[in-house]
Amino acid sequence: MGATKLSGMQKQVLSLYRGFLRAARSKQTTEDRRRIETIVSTEFRKNSKEVDRKNFQYIEYLLRLGHKQLDQLKSPDMVSISSVKIN
Amino acid sequence: MASLSATSLSFKAPSIQSTRIYQVLRKPSSFQSISFGRFQSSKSLRLQISCAAKPETVQKVSDIVKEQLALSADTALTAESKFSALGADSLDTVEIVMALEEKFNISVEEADAQNITTIQEAADLIEDLVQKKPAA
Repeated sequence: MGATKLSGMQKQVLSLYRGFLRAARSKQTTEDRRRIETIVSTEFRKNSKEVDRKNFQYIEYLLRLGHKQLDQLKSPDMVSISSVKIN
Repeated sequence: MASLSATSLSFKAPSIQSTRIYQVLRKPSSFQSISFGRFQSSKSLRLQISCAAKPETVQKVSDIVKEQLALSADTALTAESKFSALGADSLDTVEIVMALEEKFNISVEEADAQNITTIQEAADLIEDLVQKKPAA
């Protein structure tokens, strides 16, 4: 196919992203859901720009971190997340 | 929905090795269509008959894609539009597939999701899944 071949690591990242969006979907109110989606997508996009694509160790670390956060987010007790930006 | 064509014939240079031929039969809905996925001819050119996805589906998919990518309403989208050509990165593609899943109430396999690059491919896959679902 004409599509660019994705590396294994890229696939892992996309799969994690999909996992986050699915978890966001399971949250009750649309407001919470939107907030989660926005935070998650901002974070992924930020890292996709800032992280050097050859910095495998750091990406591995981020993947591990992401999976941990995703597990927390999946818990039904977790209703929403928020992010605070301090300048 | 203004003008929609029911069938489309497109010729593609060889790219995919799949020899899958599938048949889609629909109940009393508007058109009955038979689709030959992509079949291999012995020559270098491969013929693709894609009357698989109904125009409504293609239209719906286009609308969702537009919404996801925040394109203006009058952006011309065709079934052959590539997501990447519309400015979508791989994260956007994931978002599009997720939005489609929700809209059509289906679940796309991860491996399939990564192979979708055009609106036509998305629409074909959706029809395929929607067909399978009642049986499941």
